[in-house]
Order: sequence, then C-alpha cells, then structure tokens
Amino acid sequence: MQDNVIEVNHLSKKFGENTILKDINGTVKSGQVICVIGPSGAGKSTFLRCLNLLEKPTSGEVKFDGTDLTHVDGKQLLDLRERMGMVFQSFNLFPNMTVLRNLMLAPIRVKQMSEAEAKKTAIHLLARVGLQDKADAYPSSLSGGQQQRVAIARALAMNPEVMLFDEPTSALDPEMVGEVLEVMKELAKEGMTMVVVTHEMGFAKSVANQVWFMADGYILEKSTPDEMFENPQNDRAKDFIGKIIEAK
Amino acid sequence: MEKKVKAIIQVIIMFVTLLTVGAIASQASAADNSLQKVKQRGELIMVTSPDYPPYEFQVNKGGKSRIVGMDIDVAKKVAKDLGVKLVIKSMNFDSLLVAIQTGKADMAIGGINPTNERRQSVDFSDIYYSGGQSFLINAKDVNKFKSVKNLRGAKIGAQTGTLQYGLAKKRIPGATVKGMDKSTDLVLALKTNKIDALGIEKPSAEAYVKNDPTLKMIPSGYHLNKNDVGAAIAFKKGSNSLVNAVNKSIVQIKKQHLTDKYLASAGKYMKVNTVNTSMFHYWTYFAKGVEYTILISLVATFFGVLIGVILALMRFSKQKLFRGLAISYTEFIRGTPLMVQVMFVYFGIGVVINIPALISGMIAVSLNSGAYVAEIIRGGINSVEKGQTEAAESLGLTKGDMMRYVILPQAFKNIWPALGNEFISLIKESSIVSIIGVTDLIYQLNIVRADTYRGVMPIFVAMVLYFLMTFLLTRLLNYYEGKMKHAG
Repeated sequence: MQDNVIEVNHLSKKFGENTILKDINGTVKSGQVICVIGPSGAGKSTFLRCLNLLEKPTSGEVKFDGTDLTHVDGKQLLDLRERMGMVFQSFNLFPNMTVLRNLMLAPIRVKQMSEAEAKKTAIHLLARVGLQDKADAYPSSLSGGQQQRVAIARALAMNPEVMLFDEPTSALDPEMVGEVLEVMKELAKEGMTMVVVTHEMGFAKSVANQVWFMADGYILEKSTPDEMFENPQNDRAKDFIGKIIEAK
Repeated sequence: MEKKVKAIIQVIIMFVTLLTVGAIASQASAADNSLQKVKQRGELIMVTSPDYPPYEFQVNKGGKSRIVGMDIDVAKKVAKDLGVKLVIKSMNFDSLLVAIQTGKADMAIGGINPTNERRQSVDFSDIYYSGGQSFLINAKDVNKFKSVKNLRGAKIGAQTGTLQYGLAKKRIPGATVKGMDKSTDLVLALKTNKIDALGIEKPSAEAYVKNDPTLKMIPSGYHLNKNDVGAAIAFKKGSNSLVNAVNKSIVQIKKQHLTDKYLASAGKYMKVNTVNTSMFHYWTYFAKGVEYTILISLVATFFGVLIGVILALMRFSKQKLFRGLAISYTEFIRGTPLMVQVMFVYFGIGVVINIPALISGMIAVSLNSGAYVAEIIRGGINSVEKGQTEAAESLGLTKGDMMRYVILPQAFKNIWPALGNEFISLIKESSIVSIIGVTDLIYQLNIVRADTYRGVMPIFVAMVLYFLMTFLLTRLLNYYEGKMKHAG
C-alpha cells in the first residue's frame, strides 16, 4: 500500500451543462480522516461518489492505491471497489434480507468467503456496532440509527482499506446521531482511513486530521480542524463557519 | 433524431421477422404424394368440428366421450377401404380448412359444402350426401314465420364461414345476418330471441327439432346448384391421388345408400346423449377441462415469468441489439391478439415443425404472457430505489449478483399484485386455445352443450369452475404476499 491511498488530480464532473465539480485536487493518506464540509449544493456528495466511481468523472483522474479508476475495466473496478467501503445518507440496507444476510452477502459472493466464516465475521462486526441481538431482524424493524450502524458493519465486512461516508447522520433523528458518530469515532481511533462528508462540526473538530471546505464545485480551503473552525482563511469558509457557530 | 432512427430500425426488424415467417409459411407443397403418405403412415388423419349433430358430435357413454355421427361413419368407411387406421382430431369449424392446408390433417369432413369459393383454396371429393337447407325457428313463432318469405327483414343466424351464412346474406332480402362459431351458440341465441331464425342443414335441424320441442323447422326454399348444397370431404390442394381413392369409397356409399344407415345410427346416439343431461353426468368432461386449463396456465405462468425476466433484463442491457430485440418483441406481442398468436403457432409454425395442439397452445400463451410479465418486471426493477444499486455496487457485487440477490427479490415483492393479476387473467385467457382443439374447460363446455342440447346450464357450471380456480389462486397469492410483507 502506498502512503497516498487516494489521490485526486484535476477532477471535474458535469451533469449536462451543469458543472458540479471544478478542478478538484487532493490526497488522502493512509490512516487519515478527512472531513468534507460546505454549504448544500457545493458538490460534496458528488465528489465523494467520484472516489469509488459511483459517478463517472468527466475529466481528471482518481487514483486509488496508485491505480487510476477512470481507466480500468469493469472487472478491475469491482476489485477496487470492494476495497473501499461506503456508507450512505439513506442507509440503503437490503430490505429483503435479515441484518445478518446484509452483512454476509458481499463477503460470500465477492470474496468467496465460506458461509460459516462470513457468519462469524458478521456476528463479530455486529457486536462491534452493538447490534449482535439484531442479527435475525429485518432492516425495516430497526431505528434509523441502528440501520446506519448495520450499514457501517456491512461495509466493514468487506474489510475495506478506506471508508467513504456520505452525510451518514443527515437522515437521522437528533437523538440517534450520537450512536452513529460513536461508531465512526471508534473506527477512526483504530486507524481506518476515512473520507466523511458531514455537517457534524463537532465530529469534524474532534476526529478529522484535515477539513476540506467545498463551495460551488471547488475545494476552497484545506486545513486542520482548529484552523478551519477558529481561523478560516477563505471568505466563503469564514461566512459558512460563522453561520454554523451562530446557529449553535 | 436518434430516437427516430431507433424507431425505424425497430420497424425494419419487425418486418423482416414477419416476412421471413410469412415466406416459410407460404412455401408451396411439392409433388402429389398424398395417398402414398397416408398409406405409409398407416393412418388417415381427419379433422372435424364435433358440434354439428347428426353429422358429427360427441357421445357420452359410461363417462367416456367419443366422436360419432354420419360423417365419422363415412370417414371410417374411407379409412377401411384404404386399409388404414382413422385418427380423428377436433377443432373449430373455422379452422378446419386451415388445418388441412397446413398439413395438420389429411382431410376435413364436417358437412362442408364444396362451394366455388372454397374450391379455390382446397380440393374436394365428390359429394357424399345432400341434405338440403332449412331454418330453425322457435315453436312459438310458427304462425309468424310460416315460410321463408316471412323471414324478410328478420334477424337470421348462421355459423360463420358456412354456406348458410352466405345464403342468408344473399337470398333473404333485408335480413340481418348474425354469424357465430358454434351451432350450439346459435341455437341458444335463437332460444333466447337474439335471432329470429337459424340457417342450418336439414339433418341438423331435424336433430334439434327431435330433441327440443320448443324448436320448429321450415324449409329454406333456396334453389341451389347441386355443388353448393351437398357435403363433401376437403383435402389440401394437389392431393389428387388421395381424392381419387376417397371418391371410390364415396361411389360405394352412394350406391348402397349407406348414409341412410349412418344417419339412423347417429340418431340413436343422439338419444343416448339426451337421456341424462344432468351436469353431474358430464363431470368427467368438466374435470378434464379444468385439468387442461390448470396445466396450460401453470406452464404458461412458469415460462411466462422466465421469458419475462429475460426480456426485462435485456431491456436493461448495455447492448443496443438486446434492448431493441426486447422492445420489438414486447411491442409486437402486445400489438397482436392472443387468438391470432395461438393460430399462428399452431398453423403457421406448424408448416415447418408439426407441434401438437396442446404444446402449441402452451407456447403461444407463454410467449404472450412473457411480454406482459416483462413489462411488469421492468416496472418492478425501476421501482427499486437507486440507493440499492449504489449500495450493491459499492460492495463490489457484479451486475448479475446485484440483480439476483438485491434488485429482483425487491422488484418481485413490489409487483406481486400486478403479477397476480397477470396469473389470474392467464387462467381466463388461456381459454382461447380451445379454437385449435385443446381440450380445456371452454372446449369441454362447448362439447357438453352440443351433446346435451342444454344451452345455459353448462355455461353456468363453467363459470363457477373458472371462478373457483381464480378464487383459490387469489387466496394463494394473498397468502404469499402476506408472507413477503412479513419479511420486511
């Protein structure tokens, strides 16, 4: 593994006439936690989704472990994707399977893991997110917070090298945000490389190594959490941070 | 612009397919080896429409059904003279001539009048019987319709595609002519005053009058060319050797006045039928019909879903060709009636490969259902949230695994009610296969009606049976729907 897990060069993305991402550059090093913040419509989610090619970049390169994802065939892309876990705003658990099966599907089908081994891993991971008693429940019977913890466990079941979080707490009731952030903090502590699009400034402050501020399709500022929240350089960032602090 | 090109390509694909199939279907027959073929096979295959007593009808003896009648005796005599076994296939009257043209049978017999129009498409034997034409009327109208002159301006019924139909149109001034497929339906129409009179061959009319006191007969008074009134056996064009051989038997039949004997025995059979017209007496008929209806529906459901899934996946393929094929198929099947498709598979494709009627029916209904199921499934796949695809992709699942484990199970759950609807209509719509002689419930219904001279009761029984089938299926579908709901 190279030190730079993810390297983005001159990435841009257009939807029709709309340019969503403009000349994005950045690197994520092994073990780093990057939080991406910014006003809505800034292109944060699109940027994150370009990292595992859920969105196909219009131009530029996205390198994962030294391989440019924009120039690999379908098979290679699948291989690379299984090394990146992703957690979505709307959980996206498979409603037609139990929690346990949600965790076991990809290890069995993609990693060719045995049924028994996959089950062992799954139960272990459920314990880690505090939901071992929900193994046989269906997702619809879980609360939002529980569902998101299962979704994190599902991504972890593939033993990924990077975890991508797309506003993981935005769809949650306030009282459930904490339990999900707790799991994410644990992950960060254990050294997982993470890119997190979030509005949780507290989380960004306490966990991130770097905070990237995005607006209008550009990354306008990259700095440490302390600098970003105490003394932002960019005017847009200043304005954004100011509004957030006011709101608190 | 691109859309236009696509549409044009689709239309071209469709026409090429049609032309190819059409070309195969219209292949001219080779030299005449008709007699040789029958002798080699050791079987003479005839088609008839056994709902026309006393010419041909079914008799129910000890729960077993047999086709009997004057025509059957004539055919037996012909087969015996040729030294071969007689095989009887039954079918709608409308389909008889098509059946011999497409080689489904060697000859068609069924009180067929060798009119000039028919002679253009098939060959005929000599006339073996001349019965004359007549009209059936309700007994209560005896004073109103004393003779054929009183029928001016009346509503007259006749079997579609028969001589009687053409004659009523041409010779009865001001008459409205109503055509139906089955003489049993026509008699029922007469008895329920939908029509005033029914144009029918004299022996048939006599049979009805004998068995039903509410009916009366009046002579047609037509002056007709002898060729137009007699009954003859129809053969595929160019079957001279077979026609000549059959004519030899007909000469004997006429010389020995065998038809009188045949009619007498037919009359006896008809009495057997009407001794017990209780529906319970005919339960084996209905049971067999239900069995075939269920069989066809099950097979068509299975293959329909299979075809539907494949077509739906083709619609989501990256290959333009697959998408185009799937779209063309669906549009074509949805744009043509099931009845035509059934006839096409049996008669049309039958020119190239001889498929039995039951299999043809199953194929046609499956192909048809597949197109509808495909659209339902496509809707189902579209109804699955995009996030599901993204989650599956982000886990590194292949497209195939994603469909199999994530998308399709959810799609099926969403479309279950619509799919259930399709299965239920399959049970009902499969009844169309009776036109090619598949012994499903509708077919059996018609036979019971022809046998018993009871118009409404058999219809009621069939209605109840269809309802029971769909009702049970609905319960079953609901049960599974509940189960799926439980599973999240």
